[in-house]
Order: sequence, then structure tokens, then C-alpha cells
Amino acid sequence: MIEVEQLTKRFGSTLAVDDLSFSVAPGTITGFLGPNGAGKSTTMRAILGLVRPTSGNTTVLGRQYRELEMPSQRVGALLETFDAHPGRSGRSHLRVLALAGGIAGSRVDEVLALVDLGAAGRRRVKGYSLGMQQRLGLAAALLGDPEVLVLDEPANGLDPQGIRWLRDFLRSLASEGRTILVSSHVLAEVAQTVDEVVIIDRGRLLRHVAIAEVEALAAGSTTVRSPDAGLLLERLVSAGLGARSVGEGRLEVSASPEHVGEIAASAGIVLHELTPARATLEEVFLELTGEPGERGA
Amino acid sequence: MTRLFAAELLKLRTLRSTWGFALVAFLLAGLATAGNIGGTQALERHEPEFQFRIVLDAAFPAAVLSLLLGMILVTNEFRHGTIARTLLATPRRGRLVVIKLLAGAAMGAALMLVTLVVTASTAAVWLGFLDVTLELGEAVDGASRALVGVVLAGTLGAAIGGAVHSQVGALVGALVWIFVAEPLCWALLGLLDAGGAAEYLPAASLGGIVDSGGGGLPFAGSVAMALVWTAMATALALLRTSRRDIT
Repeated sequence: MIEVEQLTKRFGSTLAVDDLSFSVAPGTITGFLGPNGAGKSTTMRAILGLVRPTSGNTTVLGRQYRELEMPSQRVGALLETFDAHPGRSGRSHLRVLALAGGIAGSRVDEVLALVDLGAAGRRRVKGYSLGMQQRLGLAAALLGDPEVLVLDEPANGLDPQGIRWLRDFLRSLASEGRTILVSSHVLAEVAQTVDEVVIIDRGRLLRHVAIAEVEALAAGSTTVRSPDAGLLLERLVSAGLGARSVGEGRLEVSASPEHVGEIAASAGIVLHELTPARATLEEVFLELTGEPGERGA
Repeated sequence: MTRLFAAELLKLRTLRSTWGFALVAFLLAGLATAGNIGGTQALERHEPEFQFRIVLDAAFPAAVLSLLLGMILVTNEFRHGTIARTLLATPRRGRLVVIKLLAGAAMGAALMLVTLVVTASTAAVWLGFLDVTLELGEAVDGASRALVGVVLAGTLGAAIGGAVHSQVGALVGALVWIFVAEPLCWALLGLLDAGGAAEYLPAASLGGIVDSGGGGLPFAGSVAMALVWTAMATALALLRTSRRDIT
């Protein structure tokens, strides 16, 4: 459905995307992840025909974007930069897009209502908050009722309530069987929605895995506290588990809480605490990208 | 193509700046016509040439406004970042450039229509009050020339906008060219005894279409040269727009 084949893009001496290949299968939602400046937006713009690849190729629905007939009806896109004229009303902005895309004018009010902008539709866009601008961008993406959606950082600028709304919204789109590529630099934003994640850094592919695999990486050790910590440590090690004392009667064990609890019970050892210690998805993400923090875009 | 052209016209209609330009054209046409009638001797008002000149003199500000609005029609897309959304609907960039030129021409025709209505209304009322008979043939001849000139100005403006992309660069560059650079070229060519060549310059050829003075290239020659300059700007617009990354 979306194919990126050996895509390379240079802007002068800056290598933005470096021999990147991945595909998004029909009917799946794929998170496109990487730190700021990793090349996500450039890749998405190359998919949408806005950026010319230095080498390599991108296709949507089996064709280069510019070869698609009535592209607005087949592919919806939300770009990171706001793309409506500030002097036009949200409704007029969508009316222009509908006319240009060969889309029925009645869809304008439908999508405005869908993104909860019905009341603000007649206001000029320059008075919109950041969250309203994002909603208008989503309305533009959905205008042609497309089967493929390419959404670049849709959660940018949204408040917590807006992010929750977006998550529910993406879920509802997914349930309709659309193919969605959604970029983010925050894994938690998309983790509950996506089937797969493509992780890139410095323009190169790091991982293309199912989200379950990332979650499995996050599932890790157990913290256990006992008045007989020394004896418990012996039993755990003899059971072949990795365990170490972290002080004050606490042990950190590389096993599930259930397994640790069973070993303690069979040895008659009293436990005062048994806690699963999960790495956050963000920690896994940062470990995969090898980045302790953000780089400049 | 039809729906894309209609979308471009809707873009123009839904912006206040377009209506602002129309209002300025309205006012300038009224002022130019009133100034022309009021500043002309009573006897001269009966001459067909005077009535021909009324129409063309009112068209000059419309041509400048049309040129500027043509540029804004394209450069607005880059200034406000709407070009990305436009290209998502019209990914074939050559087609987009052609549609912008057509929109520039249509917008020029609309501005000229406003100008003609104001000029005709003002002249009919005022000259009627002065018992001057209107020579319809001369007025229609002048209106036809003016329409061609203003439509070409809008088209050339859109082509320049497509070649330059920067709104400030296009507008300032065009005004500097029209009011500073080209007059300097005229002077320089005059000093070199090649003053005739200056008539082929862009502003002179465009001005020649709506110039009632009779100097410079004939009407057909002015139209041909304006078309040549428009074609050159269009070629640059196609090249620049097709190669540009929208980031």
C-alpha cells in the first residue's frame, strides 16, 4: 500500500534520509518513529510527492503519488506545518480543497463536525488555537474519505485532552480498515493505536517490528522485598534466574512476578513486596534509537 | 482542469485582499475618468480620440493592479505554506502553473470589467450632463485594447510569481523594475542611440497595449512582445516550480 524503496534525500550537504526502505501493509496502522530531525517528515513528504528523492522511490497504492488520479480521494495527508491561509475561514479552506479534489461539497460540513469544528468553521483560521489547526488539518486529510492516511506528528500542539481525542480518533479510523502511517517522536502517543512501528534515526532504518515486540522489550524484571532476602536470592539463583540485591532487603530479578512469587512460596519465604518493574516504552524507544534526548530538527 | 480552475477562483473570492484590490481598481478608475474629463478642454471632449483615451487611461492602474494580484495569486501559496496542500490535490506541477496563469488572466478580466463599468458609468453621467455625445465605436475599441492589456498583465504577474515564489521579492522586484530599472534602461539605450530597443522591454511592451499616446510599438507588436515576456516567465515558473522541494 505504501512502499519506500532505498529512499535517499540530500539537502545540500545534509543527508536527511539515507537508503531507507520499508512498507506499510494494507489495512494496518504503522507508527513512524524517530527523534526530532530523524528524517520522518522528509520521508513522508517524499511519499506525497512534495520532496524529490535524490535516489530511490516511493509509491502509494502501487503508484508514485503524482501519478494517482484524484489523489485527494485516495490519500489523505496531515503535514507538520500548518497549510491553510490565515485569512480564509476553516470552511472556505475545505471548500477550496473539496473543489480541487473533485469531492462533493457536502463533505465539508461532515468532516468539520467529525473533528468537532462545526461551530468554528466560519471563523477565520488565524483565530484558531493550535489544537483547532490540527483538527482542521485532520478534516482536510479526511475530506476525500481516503483509504490511505499519512499523518505527520498529528499530536503536535495538542493538550492532554486533545491527545486523548486524537488517540480515540485514530482508533476509530483504524476500525474502518484504513491504512495509516502516523509519525511521532513520542512512542506513547501512538503505542495504543499502531500495529507496527518503523523506527528511524539519522535517516536510517533502525527497526521495523510489531508493536507487541516493542512491548515485550519493555516487559522486564521484578522487584521483590523480603525479610529473608539472602535465602530468597540463593533460591532464585539456584532456579537459574538472574537476580541481584539492591539493598534494604530488596532484590531485582529477571523474571515475571508470578515466577518469583511461586519460588518464594515453595521455599516458605515471606514477601513484603512483589512489583513488576517495566521499562517504559519511551525508555525502550530511546534505547533503540540510542538517544538520551532530543536533537535539533 | 475545470475543477482546479474553479478552485483557484474560489481561493481568490474567499480572500479579503482580492476584494481590496477590486475596491482600489474601482476608486482609481473613477478618479482617472473624473480627472480626465475635468482636466480636458470642452471642445476636446467631443473628439473621439478623447473618449478612446478615457478608457485606456483608466486601464493603466488596472493593469498594474492585475500584475500585482497575479503575483500574489501564486506567491501567497509559498508565503502561507498552502502550496503543500495545493500540490497534494494537484501533484502535476506543470498543470498547476498553467491553472495559475489562467486564474491570473481571469482575475485580470474581472478587474478590467470593474474598471470599465466605473469608467463607462462616470463618463456617461458626466459627459451626458455636459451634452457630449459618446462615440461607442471608439470606446469599444479602447475597451478591447484595455482588456487585452490587463488580462496579459494578470497572466504575466502569475508567471513572475511562479518563477520567483517569494512574495516580497516578486512585488518589490516588479515595482523596482517598472519604476526604476526600466526607465534607467530607457535612458541608457537613449544615450547609446538605441532608444527604439527600449520599446521591447517588459513594462514598455505591456504599457504599449494600454498606451493611448501612440508612441512605441504598434498594438499588435506590444501584444506580441508581452506574450514573449510572459512565455519566458512561464518557462522559468515551470522550471522552478517543478524542481522545488516543498519542505
